[in-house]
Amino acid sequence: MAYNVLIVDDSVTMRALIRKILVISGFDIGEYFEGANGREALGILEHNWVDIILSDVHMPEMDGTALLKALKKHQLWRNIPVVLITTEARPEIIKPFMNLGVQDYIQKPFRPETIRQKLTGILGEARTPDASEIESCDF
Amino acid sequence: MLAKLRAATFEVLETMFFLFPESLEEGEKLRSRGPFLRSSVTISGPQSLRIGLQVPQNLARTMAANFLGATEVEISQMEMEDILKETTNMLAGSFLSKLEASAAFQLQTPQVQWLSAEEKKKQELVKSLRFEVEEEVLELFVEKG
Repeated sequence: MAYNVLIVDDSVTMRALIRKILVISGFDIGEYFEGANGREALGILEHNWVDIILSDVHMPEMDGTALLKALKKHQLWRNIPVVLITTEARPEIIKPFMNLGVQDYIQKPFRPETIRQKLTGILGEARTPDASEIESCDF
Repeated sequence: MLAKLRAATFEVLETMFFLFPESLEEGEKLRSRGPFLRSSVTISGPQSLRIGLQVPQNLARTMAANFLGATEVEISQMEMEDILKETTNMLAGSFLSKLEASAAFQLQTPQVQWLSAEEKKKQELVKSLRFEVEEEVLELFVEKG
């Protein structure tokens, strides 16, 4: 089964990095979508089915909190798993997001294995590469 | 505080860039050619601080190439700036986690600027840590915000 992934981050380079890591992780990815903020993410969701959202917290125009609130209000989108990719993982910062229904979070800096483990836990094992495959990748 | 900042630097550079910095002693000289990129992020809260990074362009390019898995010639100026901002953000986030700082301390949006060798000379970094990375100098500084 192929999963459609939406990456929401205001940094073009961060989106490129996450996308690259997802490729390396060996998941059966269907389509990638990218948005620079929550508003763009909602626009993408209007026209496309997405299986998981990887979102930054601090973004201009519409941040991670506002995006989560909008998702929860929507009948179709409320069950899409959201994983936060954040520089801050202090419990006081993370707890409000967990209360808003975030599935999990990944603190930057992170290793590719971390993303793989989190996605496997949430979406299930589509195809997990050998450790040697991951180590041999140049990214 | 500087020890935690040092630990955050090692963590970020090793995990995201596959770079292994070595601390430079005070007064230890190492020549870096400009221009330089200076990125900083303000931590607002009960005590406002600004944490920043200063690196020569060559090192910024290497960092961006390692980060994106690209060759150095493929790296644009915008990517170097973006990576430096992201690095500063990660450093500050990791630093706050290590300090177990309360949620009252908030990270603001990182800023980046280019400095010529002349402009860099004029600057005095109050509290700084210096590292040798790939035969270049990476400076980390903390200022009152």
